[in-house]
Amino acid sequence: MAEGNAAEAISIEEHERVRRDLSDATEQFTATSEVLSALGRHASDPDRVLGTILESARRLCRAQAAALYLLDGDVYRLSRVVGLSDEFVEHVKRHPVAQDRTSLVGRVGLDRRTQQIVDVLADPDYRRRDIQRIAGFRTTMSSPMMLDDAVVGLLSVYRDAVQPFDDRSMTLLGAFASQAAIAVHNVNLVQALEARSAELAHKVGQLEALGEVGEAVSSSLDLDDVLPAIVMNAVRLSDTDGGSIMEYDESQQIFSVRSAYGTAPHVLERLRRTRIALDSTLVGRATIEARPLVVPDLAGVPRDPHLQCLYDDGWRSVVAVPMLRESRIVGVLVVRRKTTGSFAQDTLDLLQSFAAQSALAIHNARLFRELEMKRAELEVASQHKSEFLASMSHELRTPLNAVIGFSEVLLEQMFGEINERQEEYLRDIWSSGKHLLELLNEILDLSKVEAGKMEMELSTFSIRGALEYGISLVRKRASLHHIELRLEVDPDLDTLEADELRFKQVVLNLLTNAVKFTPDGGSVAVRATKEAAELMVAVTDTGIGVRPEDHERIFESFHQGGRGPPKEEGTGLGLTLSRRIVELLDGRLWLKSEVGEGSTFAFAIPLRSARAEWDAHPTDVARQPTGLPLVLLIEDDRPSLDLFSAYLEGVDLEVAVAHDGEEGLDSVRRLKPAAVVLDIRLPRIDGWDVLRTLKADPATSKVPVVVVSIVDERAKGIALGAAEYLVKPIGRDDLLRALERVRVLDPAPVHKKGVGMDKAP
Amino acid sequence: MGQRILVVEDNAMNLKLLRDVLQFSGYDVAEARSGEEGVELAGRRKPDLILMDLQLPGIDGVEALRLLRANPATRAVPVVAVTAFAMKQDRNRALLAGFDGYVEKPISVRALPSQVKSFLRPEKSS
Repeated sequence: MAEGNAAEAISIEEHERVRRDLSDATEQFTATSEVLSALGRHASDPDRVLGTILESARRLCRAQAAALYLLDGDVYRLSRVVGLSDEFVEHVKRHPVAQDRTSLVGRVGLDRRTQQIVDVLADPDYRRRDIQRIAGFRTTMSSPMMLDDAVVGLLSVYRDAVQPFDDRSMTLLGAFASQAAIAVHNVNLVQALEARSAELAHKVGQLEALGEVGEAVSSSLDLDDVLPAIVMNAVRLSDTDGGSIMEYDESQQIFSVRSAYGTAPHVLERLRRTRIALDSTLVGRATIEARPLVVPDLAGVPRDPHLQCLYDDGWRSVVAVPMLRESRIVGVLVVRRKTTGSFAQDTLDLLQSFAAQSALAIHNARLFRELEMKRAELEVASQHKSEFLASMSHELRTPLNAVIGFSEVLLEQMFGEINERQEEYLRDIWSSGKHLLELLNEILDLSKVEAGKMEMELSTFSIRGALEYGISLVRKRASLHHIELRLEVDPDLDTLEADELRFKQVVLNLLTNAVKFTPDGGSVAVRATKEAAELMVAVTDTGIGVRPEDHERIFESFHQGGRGPPKEEGTGLGLTLSRRIVELLDGRLWLKSEVGEGSTFAFAIPLRSARAEWDAHPTDVARQPTGLPLVLLIEDDRPSLDLFSAYLEGVDLEVAVAHDGEEGLDSVRRLKPAAVVLDIRLPRIDGWDVLRTLKADPATSKVPVVVVSIVDERAKGIALGAAEYLVKPIGRDDLLRALERVRVLDPAPVHKKGVGMDKAP
Repeated sequence: MGQRILVVEDNAMNLKLLRDVLQFSGYDVAEARSGEEGVELAGRRKPDLILMDLQLPGIDGVEALRLLRANPATRAVPVVAVTAFAMKQDRNRALLAGFDGYVEKPISVRALPSQVKSFLRPEKSS
């Protein structure tokens, strides 16, 4: 039984041990799960996690107190405690624990393993009696908190009595220390993360503001838009209370406030009145030294007038940031607070970005202002140039006309015979004079084009006629050099609506050039073709051609480059002028040429000018009840009248008649005809006066007039505004064609394809 | 003596040139250096044709023409404007103002006599 009792006793003892073990294990399990759950629940709140760990360690190691130390530089500082007095905390804060063997914490940190001192009073190496005295412990155990092979802190437990910690407690403390290390790591991570996101948020805010300012700077040249945006953002982001941008006046060497934010109107008024000079002011010094200057406390420094003004309004700290552009002073950006204090470096950096933006804005605005002034000056100068050229050309032309005229008088031998040599020289004088005159006219034309004063006078004229006119003027020169002249006109082409004089000028210029640069025995061909709604005229010569690099250059004034020596001098302006005229006629002029292959100068212009004001049926022309256009015949001669009436019979027209000029004028005003057929020799008021009167009156000036006369004074008629000029006797076709051309009659079927009048826009 | 032509021109050179050419062609030439002088001379000398520069000191060619037409003694005399070639608007202005025609400057020595002839009233030449 004794055996049985013993066995039973052992069994009881054993049972007791098992029970204790079980309870410990349960407790340990509970604590661990508490820690784990705290870790899980409060991962984002490492403070609570550490508190749980510390409390669990104290309880499970059956200690009266516990403390967590963290490595800070080369000492261990108390992070948190349980069961220890404020006095202890205060003391250790003042006297942190060194990394040496004079304390358990120091030793564990060095040895990197859990250790205990069973009785600190009995340990000869233990030197932190100060701590021991305040806390009153005797046995202490400490475990290192390791992260990535480095000690980041220690977890210590304290017992008031001498009572060694068993192995299980040591293991347990080690486990808690590991958990604490992870928690501390988490704390660091979270803190780093928070710091980083705060920094990011700050940066995003700065970028947003800078972006806003940048946008304002680039979208507006108006400083009144840009500068307020800059000051406002600068103040907002530098966390200050107000600010201003001052512009520097180089001539007076003073700064003046351009824009302000967070500044009371009366203060702004005072600031504007204050003379802020470059020397002897904070803002001046900042620009001279080219760096931001900070005054953390305005009370403690000598104040310049600007600072005094701020100080009087209650401002206490200020930063002046220079605005420089290519090392020239543009102005200064000032931000200020109502409180004293310094400014962080990144605030200063930020303000410098704003200052740079402001400098750019002011620079741009100044540039723009200068450009505007330059442009206005240039405009005036160009105007003067044009006027000068116009009057100079006129002044030069008069004596030149005398030179030409008197050489002609002598050449005509009006005052006696001249010998051969004299005649040769007179011809030289005459042709030089003519050349000079041509040059003057072209200079005058070009200056008119450049001044935008060349006006196109539109009329409808025969394309073939205008081209033949040009050819007739160079025929003599061409035959002198045995140059063959050819003209081909597309049968589809009939009339052109443009400035007749200018059109002829361009054709003549191209022809003159072609003849000039074609060697003797060559040929010059003019081809007119219809390309869609355009007339294309090409003048092709058999000259030596133009080098590709000169294709554009020869259109510049005074360039004859690359066409070889001309047979005679040109003005060097003809091509420039021709191109400009063609452009004024809404067309284009170009060159196609290869060296050795001759050249083709061609231009294309619309067959009907988009600028034409009068149309086939002007809106102020009343349609007749029949819906047909009305033609008014003004003619006193009975037989002629009968003839015209007969011609118009069976044609889709209404016809009215007036028998003299006075009646004619009255009828035009009353009937608003689509066209007038006008005789010149009329009783009372003659045809010329009728024409003049009609053209001078806006109400009738657009009615096309077909003049019929026994005298061929076509030039006069056209100059007075006649649309057509017919010389009697007139055939039926002559009259109908003329009426077709002024568009009161649709073209006869055979001509339908002709001019494309019905397809006009 | 041939028909009489009055030349109104302020430029001495141009005046001389016109006079030489017209005299050479057999005309009797009267000269005036201003619009006022021209109008006065036209009343006294009864020319068959007047050549009138448009740009004149004092009253210009258009105004001179108006005065000539206002005077019964000179109303019927054809008046021809002398206009600069490059000034197309001058030419149109002249015709609109009521000149009987125009000759262009620079005048063509060879063509002037026939141009002038075409403006003279045919009944007088016969």
